[in-house]
Amino acid sequence: MNASKAIAKTLVASPERKLEADADLAVVRQVQAGDVAAFDRLIIKYRERVVGIVYNMTSNREDAADLAQDAFIKAFQSIQRFQGQSSFFTWLYRIVVNSTLSHLRRNRLRSFFSLESIREDDPVSRELVDALTDKTGGGREAFVRELQEKLNDAMQKLSINHRTVVTLFEIDGLSHQEIAEVMDCSVGTVRSRLHYAKQLLQAELQPYLRS
Amino acid sequence: MKEPARKITVEDLLHLKRAERPPQEFWARFESEMRAKQLAAIVVKRPWWDGAYRLFSAAGRLRLPLGAAAAVALAWAGVHYAGGPSPAGRASRPVAGEPRAVARAEATVAPAAARVDRAREESAAAAPEAALAREPVVAQIESHVAEAPRAAKAEAARGTAFAAGVAAALVDFRGTDPELARRDIFGSDREFEASFASARQPPAEPLARMDPSNERLERLLVPALTSDSSFGASGPGGYRIKQKASYDRMYESLDRYGAGGMSLEFRF
Repeated sequence: MNASKAIAKTLVASPERKLEADADLAVVRQVQAGDVAAFDRLIIKYRERVVGIVYNMTSNREDAADLAQDAFIKAFQSIQRFQGQSSFFTWLYRIVVNSTLSHLRRNRLRSFFSLESIREDDPVSRELVDALTDKTGGGREAFVRELQEKLNDAMQKLSINHRTVVTLFEIDGLSHQEIAEVMDCSVGTVRSRLHYAKQLLQAELQPYLRS
Repeated sequence: MKEPARKITVEDLLHLKRAERPPQEFWARFESEMRAKQLAAIVVKRPWWDGAYRLFSAAGRLRLPLGAAAAVALAWAGVHYAGGPSPAGRASRPVAGEPRAVARAEATVAPAAARVDRAREESAAAAPEAALAREPVVAQIESHVAEAPRAAKAEAARGTAFAAGVAAALVDFRGTDPELARRDIFGSDREFEASFASARQPPAEPLARMDPSNERLERLLVPALTSDSSFGASGPGGYRIKQKASYDRMYESLDRYGAGGMSLEFRF
């Protein structure tokens, strides 16, 4: 029963996501009616997730900030064309992903990586780091930094489309259906890309895995 | 590294990336940059082709009035620069500035008439003979002055403002001096032309004044051939003999100077 619920969750959007989409649509209607300041609420609500997606796709903080800002500006300029047939965040993610993919294709040979610090206040992350190392202080920080670099390297070895699917599914928590809408492909394509990307990551990160 | 107490998968490691968050300073900078970009997007300058497109769109809405205005302007330019409309069109056109044109023409012609009158009186008083000699010329002028009102009237009948003004001025001019109106005093155009034609020399054709070629040749050759009495004979045979003799002399004289073929040689 729990396994089927988990499978269903990966396929379709959750009810919380639907409520969120309705609230977003109300704000979008305000913006379309001329309340430009209402768009700031949408920026504040989605900016961390948007920057997170771009950062995990590019592994560069500055690029992430620029691309996220440009994506918000594009959304602001095109919001009159938004008709509400999909949720606002799907529409916004499509803009973000397309901008980032264009950026990555333009600068395929240029790669400057930067690392963000891991927030230790996240219990899942702290538990994971505790499970991986018993070091404390500087040794722990160095281990976490090394793990971050290995994760970034493994992600950058994936193709752009595989990296995008992994980012949206594993890091941002979107369902297969939502990813298919964002990337304008079928759900089957999303699944196959996700499966192939996980196999590659498993091979790259084998020293840190415990079965 | 301690022994893992739990199972660690790829999903767990990727979950670690969710915890990667930028510091608060990053968000402050992000917000300020975002605000600047938002403002720039609001007041973004339109490209030049957008303005041209808007202009053409506006022109498209005013298509009918603009087309009508262009047609009127074209028609006006054609009438103004291509010599005006047909005579029928001119006749039907109302003459707006006619009184002003008539007044201007009167003002122009009145001093000229006074000058003609004064010159005629002075010349008659100073030299009656000279006045008689110049009579044909004066008669011609007077005849044209007399004919002009008639022509001007005909032109005025066609309806032009200038012609009407000239006609009115000449009628007025003739009214000021009734003597000028009587053509019998000075004669007519035909009388003048007849008198002028009698004084003219008959035309002389330049070639007609030249001597006939035979006479000239004879006049030139006879003194040179006086030694030979046989050359004095007249008639066609004599003429051929004289001509042949003249050619022989000419060749002989050229031979003396060494002329032959394409060259000329002088011997001293």
